[in-house]
Amino acid sequence: MLHKALWHLARTCLAVWALASVAFLLSYRSMSTDTEFALPDPADMVTTTTVAGRQAMLGAARHRLGLDLPLFYFGHMANSRTAWRWNGPHNQYHEWASRMLHGDFGTSFRTGRPVYYELGVALAFTLPLTGTAAVLAVFGALVLAQRLAARPWWHRAVRSLLIGLHALPLFVVALLLLLLLANPEVLAWFPAYGLNETAGDNVNIGNRLVSLAWHLALPTTALILSALPDLTLQLEANLMQEMGTEYATTARAKGLSEQRVIGDHALRNALLPSLAQIAQLLPALVAGAVVVEVVFALPGMGRLLAEAAANRDYPMLVGGVLLTGLARILALLLADLFYFWADPRIRWQF
Amino acid sequence: MAVLKSSFAWPQKAAIAWLCLLLLVAVLAPVLPLPYPPNVPDLTAVSEPPFGPSQHWLGTDSQGLDLLSQLLFGARTALMLTLPAALLANLAGALAGGAAGFWLNSSRIAVPYWLLVAASGWWWLDLPQAGGVLSMAALVSAFIISIAKWKHCPIPAWRLPLDALIMGMATSLDTIPRLVLVVAMAAITGVAIPGLLLLLGVTSWPYSARLVRAQMLRVRALPFVEAAHAAGVHPGRVWLWHALPHAMQPLRVAFPLSLAGLLGLESTLSFLGIGLPPNVASWGRLLAGIRDDSASWWTAFFPITSLTISILSLYLLSRQKPH
Repeated sequence: MLHKALWHLARTCLAVWALASVAFLLSYRSMSTDTEFALPDPADMVTTTTVAGRQAMLGAARHRLGLDLPLFYFGHMANSRTAWRWNGPHNQYHEWASRMLHGDFGTSFRTGRPVYYELGVALAFTLPLTGTAAVLAVFGALVLAQRLAARPWWHRAVRSLLIGLHALPLFVVALLLLLLLANPEVLAWFPAYGLNETAGDNVNIGNRLVSLAWHLALPTTALILSALPDLTLQLEANLMQEMGTEYATTARAKGLSEQRVIGDHALRNALLPSLAQIAQLLPALVAGAVVVEVVFALPGMGRLLAEAAANRDYPMLVGGVLLTGLARILALLLADLFYFWADPRIRWQF
Repeated sequence: MAVLKSSFAWPQKAAIAWLCLLLLVAVLAPVLPLPYPPNVPDLTAVSEPPFGPSQHWLGTDSQGLDLLSQLLFGARTALMLTLPAALLANLAGALAGGAAGFWLNSSRIAVPYWLLVAASGWWWLDLPQAGGVLSMAALVSAFIISIAKWKHCPIPAWRLPLDALIMGMATSLDTIPRLVLVVAMAAITGVAIPGLLLLLGVTSWPYSARLVRAQMLRVRALPFVEAAHAAGVHPGRVWLWHALPHAMQPLRVAFPLSLAGLLGLESTLSFLGIGLPPNVASWGRLLAGIRDDSASWWTAFFPITSLTISILSLYLLSRQKPH
């Protein structure tokens, strides 16, 4: 089991690194052309510059961005197509990789601040949001699936609702919440955007927390609604399967109520296949945050990524890909821990 | 839905009718007699409610764009993007997953083929002395083949770990959520519509590959495949003509679902303003405008309704049970 978990982890790390590398290599191919556009247009310039001056400016810009080095360990020479040569470790990819391994994610093109600083500021906001949504979605799924498994009269309606909710894209759900519950034309129960951070420092901490919760209610609800159907439907299907087993029949024959058969006997076994979904949950919530934070204009990691994509801020995008991969790795670790807790057969192997 | 389905067939008929209507509208959008063309703002009628006195039957948005023509051309964009992307993803997934499930890691490829492929790669990469390497590979191949013919022994072959390669690629693509990956890659490569289509296909094939691979593992052990092998049919023919058509059965259910997923992804992307150029009408872009002007409910109502009905129709279509 330990072997398998380690192998999973190593493979995920490798995949994340490969995806980030592909993103880096692709981005630096298009960056060379983007640098040309970044220079002032010769037709617009007030002071006349010679071609040589323009070339010097271009060269300086390329040197500053590290574009004058070759891209990869081997490649063509810059100007001739036929010559192929080994560039050695003095290349853009090598420098990028060693910087990454030292924790330096580069500088954002858009803001000029280090990427890890931007990501840190955004994460300080996004982690509470997605963390709350993840915990609430898991608890909601646990409660709802147990109720549904007892087959009350409303289970068909709720199941259909969950399937419909699962089908809709998250931005539609978030927009519907926004338009129905934060719209002065319909019901203005919640604020439509932002965090209202303009309130002075003299407001006490309790009021600030209440204000924060009030502003985050709709985004969190949207995230929960995106994660809940999948978790609930899977857990309910597992529970229904466990309810047909012989130990469940024995428990019923002892005279236990249906709720206690589900809660005390079937739940733990039904949870095992669902634990794999935990590994999907955290990255999915990061992807959800991209949409939700744009809809509700919140200053988090998702909006950072969306804006970086709209502005073609490559270092930020590569950093975002790496961070999402990190969420995936953390989720895998968490899922393995849960397996350890839930299944005594795994514990006995140590 | 499942409830309705078990007693009636009409929801599915309605779903099929809606999808056909969508298809028709999307194909015919440029020749329909619309009162206003798309993407041309009518600044005399901004944020006009639907069914008003003017000819804007579904109203206009906050930029004065006619909602009806935006909707119809948005349907065209969605169809043009999602249908080829879904076909591409399912075809690639079926071929990759089918090959991985049929040959697993045990397929062997004769050494001359390896040599020729390696030499062609060398030539394609423009490495030094490409011509010499190519002719060298051809010579060595000819030598191996003639030795094998002379000694009446099989040509030596090396193993190709096809299953590990394909499933490893699929797992790698699955580590990052599809939305984040597509957003990052679309921004980094700065793609236009054909590139976006390719990107959607490339990031969506693992799901159908897994389905087809699982089914292929079952099919390859069935008697008719063994019979084909025993009859001396070439393994490639057995794979393509005998096993693959059966292994692709799960895609009949999965295809509408992948179409629904891609429809959602496409509208999310255009809602975020990534990928599609800003002069292409799409439902997601129409919805992005609602934040500026939350009072005009119609700009949200019509796109959300058509998107929801389309996605639910595709879900209904995939839930048909075999009789």
